[in-house]
Amino acid sequence: MPSVSRVLKIAAIVLVAAAILAFPSLAPNPYVLSAGVLVLNYAVLATSWNFVGGFTGYISLGHGALAGLGGYATGLLVVKGGLPAFAALLVGAALVAAVAVPVGFAALRVRGASFVIVSIALVLILLLVFQSWASFTGGSRGLVVPRPFDLSRPEHHRVFYYLFAGLLAVALLVWWLIDRSVFGLGLKSIREDEDKAEALGTATFAYKLMVFVVSAGFTALAGGLYALWFGDLDPVFQFSILTGSYLVLMALLGGVRQLFGPLTGAIIVGVALEYFKVEYGDTPLHLVATGLLLALVVLFMPDGVLPAIGDLIRRFTPGDRTSIREVSAAELRDQRLQNAGGTR
Amino acid sequence: MPSGALLFQSVILGLLLGGLYALLASGLTLYFGIMRVVMIAHSAFLILAAYLAWWLHENIGLDPLLSMIGTVPLFFGAGLLLQRGLLSRLRPATLTMMSVLLTFAVALLVEGLLGYAFSGTQRRINLGYGSAGLDLFGARIAVVKLIAFGLAVVALGTLWLLMKRTRFGWALRATIQHRDAARLLGIDTERVAGYGFGLGLATAAIGGTALSLDTTIYPSLHWHWIGPLMAIIVVGGLGSVPGAAIAALLLGLAQSLLQIPMGTTWAQTIFYLALFVTLAFRPQGFFGGRLAQRF
Amino acid sequence: MSITSFRARFSTGLLATSLMISLGACSGDSDDSAGDGPITIGISLPLTGDFAEPGKGVQQGYEAWAKIVNDNGGLLGRQVELTILDDQSNADRVVADYEQLIGQDQVDLVVGPFSTRLVVPAARVAEEYDMLFVEPAGAAKEVFEQGFENLFYAAPAVANDHYNHLAEKILALPADQRPKTAAYAAMDDPFAQGTAYGLKEKLEAGGIETVVDEVYPPNTTDFSGIAAKIADAKADVLVGGSQYQDGVNLIVALQQLGYQPKLAAFSTAPTNPEFAAAIGDKTEGVLSPTGYSQDAPYPSNSEFVEKFTAQFGVPPEEDQANGYTTGQVVAAAVTAAGCAEQGECQQKLIDWLRANTVETVVGPLSWDETGKPKGAHMIQQWIGGDIKIVLPEDVKEADFLFPKPAW
Repeated sequence: MPSVSRVLKIAAIVLVAAAILAFPSLAPNPYVLSAGVLVLNYAVLATSWNFVGGFTGYISLGHGALAGLGGYATGLLVVKGGLPAFAALLVGAALVAAVAVPVGFAALRVRGASFVIVSIALVLILLLVFQSWASFTGGSRGLVVPRPFDLSRPEHHRVFYYLFAGLLAVALLVWWLIDRSVFGLGLKSIREDEDKAEALGTATFAYKLMVFVVSAGFTALAGGLYALWFGDLDPVFQFSILTGSYLVLMALLGGVRQLFGPLTGAIIVGVALEYFKVEYGDTPLHLVATGLLLALVVLFMPDGVLPAIGDLIRRFTPGDRTSIREVSAAELRDQRLQNAGGTR
Repeated sequence: MPSGALLFQSVILGLLLGGLYALLASGLTLYFGIMRVVMIAHSAFLILAAYLAWWLHENIGLDPLLSMIGTVPLFFGAGLLLQRGLLSRLRPATLTMMSVLLTFAVALLVEGLLGYAFSGTQRRINLGYGSAGLDLFGARIAVVKLIAFGLAVVALGTLWLLMKRTRFGWALRATIQHRDAARLLGIDTERVAGYGFGLGLATAAIGGTALSLDTTIYPSLHWHWIGPLMAIIVVGGLGSVPGAAIAALLLGLAQSLLQIPMGTTWAQTIFYLALFVTLAFRPQGFFGGRLAQRF
Repeated sequence: MSITSFRARFSTGLLATSLMISLGACSGDSDDSAGDGPITIGISLPLTGDFAEPGKGVQQGYEAWAKIVNDNGGLLGRQVELTILDDQSNADRVVADYEQLIGQDQVDLVVGPFSTRLVVPAARVAEEYDMLFVEPAGAAKEVFEQGFENLFYAAPAVANDHYNHLAEKILALPADQRPKTAAYAAMDDPFAQGTAYGLKEKLEAGGIETVVDEVYPPNTTDFSGIAAKIADAKADVLVGGSQYQDGVNLIVALQQLGYQPKLAAFSTAPTNPEFAAAIGDKTEGVLSPTGYSQDAPYPSNSEFVEKFTAQFGVPPEEDQANGYTTGQVVAAAVTAAGCAEQGECQQKLIDWLRANTVETVVGPLSWDETGKPKGAHMIQQWIGGDIKIVLPEDVKEADFLFPKPAW
């Protein structure tokens, strides 16, 4: 019954939105609120990452660098260019999207392996450039981005929490729209079988490049917003390979083919990171935990927790067993495709 | 204008460095050839080997070179296990992407455990001959660098002989060239792939030992190495061992010479510049690399 | 829309909601701690990552200070309790840590982390919550250019002034002995660069030509290229803006190339206990600025050295002393102001420090309006297998050795 499911779906979305919007009032102190801002920042980044990862199946480990670039672009436009903060944010994101064109051109002409290599190289080269070009970027002295609002620190957190939430909503909406468009269909055909998609006349290279640029733009927006919120940029932390790997982990864990997958992953991993810091803060075990979790997800749950939970619910809910035919047909198709080596 | 002596000195330093790059890149190339896997954890194992050499030297006074007796077989076994136990479990359709993530995860694990065991402190082996140098036409060559270079040359030579002159080498090359055809010829490609991985990781053991002779090590150092190495294998042409070796020597030399006018940091960008130029204009690489076309 | 995918999306929502709420809920139990309980002091330190080594040194300094204070009856009759978090040498973390310490743990006082890179973001958090911020390690001049009104650096001098005594000494040498050229190699780090460039400025003004000026990233392990340049230029003076390992690596690379300077000065590295062994015991004549000496005659120093050694088994070094000094500065302010809690008390502490001088293990400290201390560092030199104070003249333990013997 599509109408009931539609209502429930909308109810679920409203519930998520309400939970996210209510969080600042529930947060007992500014620290928890600031942790919430970080989690939302991760959620926007992971969702932006998922434009490339989810639709085309190309895995980028370099989105941390795009976020860093967005942060620096925004910061430099404010500090050196004298632009108002939010104009700088938009111009910065546009600049990063423009930079993504040649990067994507080099990275996407050939298949996956080169893309991954370029994405990692992007982090390393930007780190070198932003560190060495100290006269422009501030180098290791860092770049101080002035606050856009004159607010007390807790208020400042609250405002940025809602800004990030708004950006998240826009990113999710765009993802959803692409998911339902012909463009999205073309992208997904690349994910399933790039050769066949090409043979059938899909302009695979152009499609990949376009979605990469969109993804870079959103990532840069998140990075820029972060720069305005956080205020202190340092190349070592802005261009960190670990950030990119967190994003991949979040998106994969949540499920790259689900609209809300990266958001779920960001909440799980973001909270886990915070927890790990509190519990095991004085050891490098957070690396071990990240590594283990990533390996486990790749090996046993490459489709993410959401489909896995869906499977689980389906298996134990008698209600679903009554409407057996449709579901098991879908299941059969999934199995068949999986055996044939597809990912759907 | 730099003096002739400085240029000559830099050429020598560049070649010595390039030799080490060549050895390490050959391992990466091997993995890619066998399984189309970009092995991010290669340099993490490199650092692990260096740590083992340092630890053995520190605790039982073993010369780093002798530590290879233990680390080389150990790493061969680890490579075999990694291929059999983890990588061969991935779905073939998404192997390239997922293997990157899996080896990335392994790299994080190794880094985290090294940090846990030995802390983030930078370590260096203090060798009696650490500061000794030889004169060569006015240039100075550090003894330790010469040993490291020698190790790289011997290891690469052995690898070449193994690939060209033994039955296993033939099987390995057949597997790299065409896996299905090799299987039809009766080659147990799974086993060969496992041994190939072991071999690749064994080069990391040798490389790590060479590294430990003359540089400082710390757990996150592997990121510093994986970037240049990946650039080298792309420039050389993915899957081509000689291509990787030539690219390694050339880029090592370029880095060393560029340090004179540009300084250390900017000189490192040559690797990434070469990577982007290669991918934008000649994605199959400059020195062979038949495979790169498709990946 | 199939049922499966709806379920999946629905469960996301559920998960998201419950996690958000649990994140909020698990952190509400902060109690009001002003009054007669212990005075809690929040600290974030890099215990892992790039700055782990000095971070742990500072931690020992803080711990020694807390123990000594508590053994003597505490502050204002209250015991002192340290809450130390690890920031993983990461600026995001350091900010989150101080948010947590001030907002959630409701500590009474906060003191600083290690390294300029972390001090600036941390100080901003403290400033915005109107907390006093005494810090042991943000020595680069950038720290004092941010307009902080709550910050005090608990050491004798900022990075650029570390070599002041040495610069005077070199420029005072007779013209025929005075070095003509100098080479500088500094880590790309505000502190390390600050020390080298402070000396560079003064030597250049005195007519000593700069022949090599290299900056290397903190993760550099191969110094042969830089060493080749320095050796080729045959500079008379070698100045290393180093931390520890990079200084050692540079020296070994220079030894490999057979380069012999007339004067070699490195920040931080030569004072490390492992330095001599690391460069093959060829230390004679190597110079280093230091803000702390175990033999310094300041009143509280002997107690510090004695009790620190009893607690940790080794005598304190500069990092430990910096942590301890920070504690002393805070203690002096708290004792004078008679309070230690968040709120108005913090401004009293700040005002008192602005106007007064504090006796510490590194000597009497006082600050200008930016929080910059008004002193200079001593210069130490390796002489006869031991590192000794050679400058300034009035506290020297040995005579300044020039030119430096071969290494």
